[in-house]
Amino acid sequence: MKLHHSILIKSALLLVVLSCALWHCKDDDNAIVERNYQLVWEDDFSGPAGQAPDAAKWAYDIGIGPGNDGWGNQELQYYTDRPENAALDGLGNLAITARSESYGGRGFTSARLNTKGIFTQAYGRFEARIKMPWGPGIWPAFWMLGANIDQTPWPQCGEIDIMEYRGQQPNVIHGSVHGPGYSGGAAITKSFDLVNDRFDVDFHVFAVEWGEDYIDYYVDDTLYQRLRPESIPGEWVFDQPFFIILNVAVGGNFVGFPTPQTPFPQTMLVDYVKIYKEAI
Amino acid sequence: MKNIKLEFSALALLALAVIITVLACKRDLEDLEPATFPTTPEVFIDGFSEGLNYGAFGGSKVTAFDVDTEVKYRGAASMKFAVPDAGDPQGAYAGGAYFTSVGRDLSGYDAITFWAKASKSASIDVVGFGNDFGESKFLTTLRDVKVNTNWQKYIIPIPDPSKLKQEKGMFFYSEGPENELGYTFWIDELKFEKLGTIAHPRPVILDGQDQVLSPETGQQLTIGGLKVTFNMPSGIDQSVDAAPSYFAFSSSNPSVASVSDKGVVTVLDAGDAVITAKLGGADAAGSLTLTSTGQAVGPTSPAPPPTVNADSVISLFSNVYNNVNVDTWNTRWQFSTAEDFDVKIAGDDVKRYRNLNFVGIEFASQPIDATAMTHFHLDIWTPDPTDLPKAFKVLLVDFGANGVFGGNDDSSHELSFTRPTLVSNQWVSLDIPLSNFTGLVNRAHLAQLVLSGDLPNVYVDNVYFYNAGTVAPSGPTVAAPTPTNNPADVISVFSDAYTNIPGTDFNPNWGQATQVTQVPVAGNNTLRYSGLNYQGTQFGSNLDVSAMTHLHLDVWTNNSTALNVYLISPGPVETPVALTVPTSGWSSINIPLSQFSPVALNNLIQFKFDGNGDVYLDNLYFYKTGSSPTEPATAAPTPSYNAADVISVFSDTYTNITGTDLNPNWGQATQVTQAPVSGNNTLIYTGLNYQGIQLGSNQNLSGYTYLHLDFWSATSTSLKVFLISPGPAETPYTLTVPTSGWTSIDIPLTEFTPVVDLSNVFQFKFEGNGKIYLDNILFRK
Repeated sequence: MKLHHSILIKSALLLVVLSCALWHCKDDDNAIVERNYQLVWEDDFSGPAGQAPDAAKWAYDIGIGPGNDGWGNQELQYYTDRPENAALDGLGNLAITARSESYGGRGFTSARLNTKGIFTQAYGRFEARIKMPWGPGIWPAFWMLGANIDQTPWPQCGEIDIMEYRGQQPNVIHGSVHGPGYSGGAAITKSFDLVNDRFDVDFHVFAVEWGEDYIDYYVDDTLYQRLRPESIPGEWVFDQPFFIILNVAVGGNFVGFPTPQTPFPQTMLVDYVKIYKEAI
Repeated sequence: MKNIKLEFSALALLALAVIITVLACKRDLEDLEPATFPTTPEVFIDGFSEGLNYGAFGGSKVTAFDVDTEVKYRGAASMKFAVPDAGDPQGAYAGGAYFTSVGRDLSGYDAITFWAKASKSASIDVVGFGNDFGESKFLTTLRDVKVNTNWQKYIIPIPDPSKLKQEKGMFFYSEGPENELGYTFWIDELKFEKLGTIAHPRPVILDGQDQVLSPETGQQLTIGGLKVTFNMPSGIDQSVDAAPSYFAFSSSNPSVASVSDKGVVTVLDAGDAVITAKLGGADAAGSLTLTSTGQAVGPTSPAPPPTVNADSVISLFSNVYNNVNVDTWNTRWQFSTAEDFDVKIAGDDVKRYRNLNFVGIEFASQPIDATAMTHFHLDIWTPDPTDLPKAFKVLLVDFGANGVFGGNDDSSHELSFTRPTLVSNQWVSLDIPLSNFTGLVNRAHLAQLVLSGDLPNVYVDNVYFYNAGTVAPSGPTVAAPTPTNNPADVISVFSDAYTNIPGTDFNPNWGQATQVTQVPVAGNNTLRYSGLNYQGTQFGSNLDVSAMTHLHLDVWTNNSTALNVYLISPGPVETPVALTVPTSGWSSINIPLSQFSPVALNNLIQFKFDGNGDVYLDNLYFYKTGSSPTEPATAAPTPSYNAADVISVFSDTYTNITGTDLNPNWGQATQVTQAPVSGNNTLIYTGLNYQGIQLGSNQNLSGYTYLHLDFWSATSTSLKVFLISPGPAETPYTLTVPTSGWTSIDIPLTEFTPVVDLSNVFQFKFEGNGKIYLDNILFRK
């Protein structure tokens, strides 16, 4: 196995520059396109509280990453498959819970679930309804990696971040892609700022609609970013199946350290994950 | 830096003067009375918003606030606050409140926000809103607000906006000097906002702690530590202090404890109750679990009021005296469980301690100089059992010349009191000689009093030092009457008139407060109990008084209101007999020993007195009656000598020489009386020390052979008779006393020669003690 996954380093300054640049590029290309999708895969996380998520749909990443480097990001948590870190909440949600506890040599535990080798798909609508955790240093994400990652190392395999969130910016989420020449701090990113509201007080739907020559980023019904091959400064690698990842990281390059004021445990609630394919 | 601690309810009062001037220049209320309340969000943007008033807090520098058109974040003006230097005569801090006369409906907002900067990095003590210089029902306070020289935005979340339908308190602030130095801060764009990005209110009561208390009926407890923590738009948590009215308090058992809208818990009955609260529907962390012990047991009557002259007193706590400064009545030292309460007992202020294991009472900031004092007094009352070995301890600590704890000049001593000093359910007055605190080397810098022991519940009153020297009650000026019992019929413990049993300890340490001394009263040794609470007497060996019939004692007191005497036999078995006090002069008391049943009279070990006041005692002895009359039952035998052979001095039978003075003033103490005994006139010497007889004329006894006299005494242990001729020339003759009935004696006159000139005898003299009956004093052939 080789390098497993992403470097999401980016400076705040760069983020701001990119955000502003993208914010102003309102053109007709951003118009919402109605597409005819059919549901092909879903998990609505129904089941009794404490039950593990469906093993037929989800696998776990365990530990601190293959490089013992916090999954390439200096993340502080140890990922487990215990129900303390990932379980159904009995109310129809998957609860991924980050805890402050000593475990496996780390000061925090959490969980990272994926569909690698279970379900992969190229193109379609990938959506999840999520209520965020909160607090500085909390970094939840709903994202995808190219299914060929074991043969074609990151960033060549591609990464589509449908939603990333910093606990210290509870009203902002980020949508990004990483690929060859535009990974880590150079990823293509746009932020979405919820006005007079925050992502940790209610559920919101985060989605991408992905086709051969576009990736549209949605929060609820708002399209806030459309990426096309021509808007990418490198090779468009988003032409093969990807698998899905849900996780809550603690600390790391993207988010910074949790502070003494960060309340633990922190739980990301996922109401559902639904994958559609565009009907012929 | 926190240099100022503010109590806004108090400040509101203090600031009234300032407000009134502000109110005086605003428009009539009628003009502003709206049907609904305005929702104006602006407080200060570039000037005062509609209807806004300002009042400075009392004690603050009233000119601290000004409008600044030079320095501002945005627009035309900002609010400038000039925090004074420490010691500024115009005011010690900057503080005030902005309020409207007509309330605003702020329920549509979730925070008040502003931009602020300062002339240097500083921490503003408090800012907030909800101070309306009145009830300030929804006071909300953000503490320790860090400012620096850059403009930054600050947010004070509203704990529950739905409550603010009619709020008048728009903003307040208070800040003291930083490290004693003043500085300036500015606030601009002060307004209420609906941010929508403040989330996760987490209310707490009692700072989030689950407290457990065991109060009692009637006790009131205020739920404090009311805060709400919000997650701010920055993702960081921030807490504000929230007034009780934001919270909905509830009791799990309202019949045991009720809780008011203000979070004041009133304990109503014995039982269990849990007090919790909600804020805006969210459960507040923290709870108060009460296990009420029910009605407290306490004194129903106040402690006996002190009578010591105030000039001789240094009082820490008493309604009778002016009290000195006491820093605290409960230092809450580590491991101390004591709780203190100020209670009133029939109008008298009393300190009450509960869960007392030990409690520090400290007056170190102004140490007490008790060098001129002789005693330490306190009154205590406990409902707790006082059976042995339960103790109540009094520790006095002197901080020495350096006036502070430590420094190798501290001294202290602890005294322990037990039964019978300790009595449950009644006031016990401890009058402790400071000399008893033997380890308390100095008492010029007394700084601490520590009460401890085995009594969890103690009420304390009248805590003072005093000088007994200036208040010593006047004692008896005459000696107790000399007892008249026949010494043969007496077992004496304390009397000058009898031989006392050996080895008696008149001041055994039974933990009493009584001070015991032996003082001469008119030359007669007397036992004095000062400040009696109780006092024992330990016999040198066990006494068998089964042959006796009475206990005799002489008592004098002008201030005791309770006095009991006990006999004690092993067990201990003890029985009290109450004595009538106070006395009018000496009171001679004879108590039939049968009254002490069931004390074993054949095996007495101790006396005990208890009661109060200062008591003088004398002639403590047992005696028997019947066989030993205290006075002759019959007249002296009538002499039958031929009158021609007799020169009579004192006799009913003969003609006595005339002009005889039976009580010449030779400075004697003896009382001389004449009284008939069975119709026969008898000469009686009471309390004999010596006594003369001045004959009416000098007598030539040549040709006479004997001095005859009849004497009777049950009490005298020494008696001599002298004949005296001028010179004086005198010779004693010893008489055997006590007598068994009348003794008739004929003393050869040669017993008095050659010293006495028998041809010219002019005086008699008697020396000895006790009570003597004399008759038929005559010379015969």
